[in-house]
Amino acid sequence: MRQVLAIVTALALAGSLAASAPSHAQSKGEIVIGMQCDRTGATQIVGTVLCPGFHDYISLINSKGGVEGYKIRAPEIDNEYKVPPAVESYERHKKEGAVTIAVYGTPQIYALAQKLQEDRIPGTSPGFGSAAAADGIRYPYVFPVAATYWSQGTAAVDFVKKQLGGSLKGKKIAYIFYDNPAGREPIEILEDLSGREGFQLRTFAVPPPGVEMGAQVLDIAQRFRPDFVIAHLFGGAPAVSIKELKSKGYPLRKVISLVWGSAEVNIEAAGGFAVAEGYYTMQFAGVGQDYPVLNEIREMYKKQGKPAPKEMASSVYYNRGVFQAAVHVEAIRNALKAHPDGKITGVDTKAGFEKISNFTLGGLVPPLKITSTDHEGGGLVQIWQIKGGKFEKVTDWFSAYPDVIAKHTKEAAAK
Amino acid sequence: MFHRESGVLKTTYEADMALYPLPIARWTVAALAVVFFAVIPLALHQYYLSIANLVWIAVIGALGLNILVGYTGQVSIGHGAFMSVGAYTAANLAIRLGSPWPVNLLAGGLMAALVGAVVGIPSLRIKGLYLAIATLAGQLIIEWTINHVTFISGGVQASIDVPRPRLGSYVLSSQREMYYFLLVFVVLAIVGTLNLVRSRIGRAFIAIRDQDIAAEIIGINIFRYKLLAFAISSFYAGVTGVLYTYYLGIANYEQFQIGVSIDYLAMIIIGGLGSILGSIFGAFFVTLLPIVIRYAMEAFGGLFFDPKTVLNLIPNLRLMLFGALIIFFLIVEPEGLNRLWRNIRNYFRIWPFAY
Amino acid sequence: MSEEFGFFLLLLSNGVLIGLMYSLIALGFVLVYKATDAVNFAQGEFVMIAGLVVALAMSAAGAPLWAAIILGLASMVVFGFALERVVLRKLIGRPVIAVVMATIGLASILRGVGPTFFGAGTKSLPLPISDEPFVIGPLFIPPIQLLGAAVSIVFITGFGWFFLWSRKGIAMRAVADNQQVAMAMGINVERYFGLAWAMTGIVSALGGIIWGNLLGVDVNLSLVGFKVFPVVILGGLDSIPGAVVGGLIVGIVENIAAGYIDPYVGGGTKDFVPYVLMILALMIRPYGIFGKRIIERV
Repeated sequence: MRQVLAIVTALALAGSLAASAPSHAQSKGEIVIGMQCDRTGATQIVGTVLCPGFHDYISLINSKGGVEGYKIRAPEIDNEYKVPPAVESYERHKKEGAVTIAVYGTPQIYALAQKLQEDRIPGTSPGFGSAAAADGIRYPYVFPVAATYWSQGTAAVDFVKKQLGGSLKGKKIAYIFYDNPAGREPIEILEDLSGREGFQLRTFAVPPPGVEMGAQVLDIAQRFRPDFVIAHLFGGAPAVSIKELKSKGYPLRKVISLVWGSAEVNIEAAGGFAVAEGYYTMQFAGVGQDYPVLNEIREMYKKQGKPAPKEMASSVYYNRGVFQAAVHVEAIRNALKAHPDGKITGVDTKAGFEKISNFTLGGLVPPLKITSTDHEGGGLVQIWQIKGGKFEKVTDWFSAYPDVIAKHTKEAAAK
Repeated sequence: MFHRESGVLKTTYEADMALYPLPIARWTVAALAVVFFAVIPLALHQYYLSIANLVWIAVIGALGLNILVGYTGQVSIGHGAFMSVGAYTAANLAIRLGSPWPVNLLAGGLMAALVGAVVGIPSLRIKGLYLAIATLAGQLIIEWTINHVTFISGGVQASIDVPRPRLGSYVLSSQREMYYFLLVFVVLAIVGTLNLVRSRIGRAFIAIRDQDIAAEIIGINIFRYKLLAFAISSFYAGVTGVLYTYYLGIANYEQFQIGVSIDYLAMIIIGGLGSILGSIFGAFFVTLLPIVIRYAMEAFGGLFFDPKTVLNLIPNLRLMLFGALIIFFLIVEPEGLNRLWRNIRNYFRIWPFAY
Repeated sequence: MSEEFGFFLLLLSNGVLIGLMYSLIALGFVLVYKATDAVNFAQGEFVMIAGLVVALAMSAAGAPLWAAIILGLASMVVFGFALERVVLRKLIGRPVIAVVMATIGLASILRGVGPTFFGAGTKSLPLPISDEPFVIGPLFIPPIQLLGAAVSIVFITGFGWFFLWSRKGIAMRAVADNQQVAMAMGINVERYFGLAWAMTGIVSALGGIIWGNLLGVDVNLSLVGFKVFPVVILGGLDSIPGAVVGGLIVGIVENIAAGYIDPYVGGGTKDFVPYVLMILALMIRPYGIFGKRIIERV
């Protein structure tokens, strides 16, 4: 009996394998974007909100007739924030004829950079990934398309400088970060700036999984007593940091978090907006519901008789998903304009990305300008503060210290 | 039917002790070789070959772990760390000295063997659970070291790009070329392990697993053989790490964390402790599981859940199924897939007779 | 009092309180090992599931805190009994790697079950205690840590008393010592196994509530489980006072390391140091400071 059951299960699985074998090439009239997400790994708190945003934008575009008449298909594969599934999913997307890849995760974009180059398919890494990849000459097929960790670092220092009255000389800044490569990336920039601007920098590493930082926060709050704290944490760590800093007596209005500790879900996990009052967050996409494209998405759902998805309320990460999808669609649009017959490849979409200029999506996206040498698009960010129970915009799009970034990019390319 | 031993008579000791004394076995091995060396790589698409490559890498690692856990009975949760030692050694040599891949491969394996022997030193004083926890500590400490010591990790990013392996001037980079490259090492590993367990060393390992105090009494130097087991197993792990690095083109410490160690343990438990065929089955099974789950969910998931839930469900389902399968095999079939295969084989051996 | 000394006291107090909270989780591990010889690699995941139940009850069903806590305790007790009945009973007598892998498999299942049935977002677990710390001289004491330490001490004392003085506790120790003789004396071994796992369930529920409040409840909560190993190795796998001592040692050492060694090494020693200590302990005194079992030496 057991044997029979085993044989039947095996046959069913084999049948499903045959039945759902993906096509070997894109079907006529369809463009494929290979999308990766993390829905079960260390950053699932981000992925489960960001990826629906991506999908919703694609649905919106398709509902309006697609891009230049072609529908977009974005099959999503979970990479669990691990590298082997990411590589495997990349191979699968390649098989399905993807012309661009939305990579998810810093170690993943590192692992795939060489393959993307060999196979000549562009991959994006907005708000994370290798900062050196902004160099379009050295990394022709990697597109950060949003502020890299270096740009975020310089912008943070610039913001702190303005908050502290225009000068950082003799001041103290603490940098608390998640102890992994992504977390460590801004350090060289911060050290460079500390020499330049004359402030004292101390770094505090929080070992993964980032749930335990009591001693580090104690040190910051009670011994080092910096004038400002720059925080670069992800996953569950930002929420813990908010609670810890508060409970150990450090005012949150002297804290600025880089882009991945800045969302509604982080605030809610920390106990709610009331708890996080004063916290500054850095964003690379717009925050909140007040954007034309979001209204369009809500309209689209209404026409289908469904309420707006609950992920939309978590606007920080959801909007980033929309942003990411929009940039991919723009690149495809540019590629299709150059090749109206629809036969585009990765080389065409790469050129498509590099034509993106002044694309703002109603303010949701900073005015990106991507060229063949600059794949970052300007490194623009906004600062929003938690005030009175919600996000309030503090600055408009800005970037800072481009010369420092250029210097480090050049050094990295020389290695 | 498959193993007709009747009529097969040997006249020399060597012939009797050969690896495949029965002609039918030799034919089977030859047929398998043809399938794996010729049919599969030429017939299958790149994507399927890439999956096969992942499986081959896992096979080598699983064989190594089985030598330590299945044949010598020493529980180790540190396999991932040894892989990373091999990977980073090779990557550093490749980048700093520009040495060719055979040198890197060997160096990676030997370095991992050395580290493995060091981690194995506690095995001389403690057994079972305590040894498992000690190896767990070893795993975490090695992870931390690689992450923080920039000399090893190659900088803040803890990831090193390695150039593709070359044969003379021919660069191996496509999935098909990688397939052949890896297959050669898989065959070497399998043949090596087959011979190892039949040899004096292998028998010593099995003796240590079964009754270590008695083994010591009859003169086996447990100290030496336990360390040797750790070293050999870690050598396999190091080689696995190096091959994985060459396959991906990058060495990154996040690829070799504790989840990987647990995956390999699952492979040998599901496949069968103490058996080579079991290691191979286990490697296939655990590597293919997430892929099969995804295909099955995509084909049938639409029937039960709406598309959004399916996306969220697939990866969690993989975790749940993975754990459930481990428990299932532990309770129902403790000797793993290997035992299932033996049952089938024995049935056909004397078919159509019943006994 | 100098600033440096004040900082040192701060680290110490933080270490003591966090250490006691570690002991709470280690207690769950020790209870199971003491009574059934089984090693629970899924201790962290138990804490996570318990936290998820309580958090979800409060947020989705709007239940008041006391009801949610009772629900959490009850469901973990049921879970403990069920687990023993369905899975662990079949693995009695198997080599240690079997039980280890079974609990690792269980951990994997729970990690998948959590986000599937409870949602992936991090939920907060509000308790009626303030966020503002008590300030006693140079010391900052967050109320949640005080609560955690208090709960820990109460339950450790409670279980300690249970094992030493109560009838059922003595029976459990008999079962752990020698199953066959216990059976011969008329003790229903299987029922006591179930009871042991249920007790772990209770302790995990408490841990889930306390740690869930501190860290937020999501899948990462299970990672506190890794802290268990240094604590129980240092203290002794089957010793309840050992869980306390081990917890204190780990908590204090972690904080001192983070405070004084981190600045030189660039961080991260916090995770690293307890494991180094653990290895030293394994080499010198494997059964821990208070453990009584004899580990076979070779």
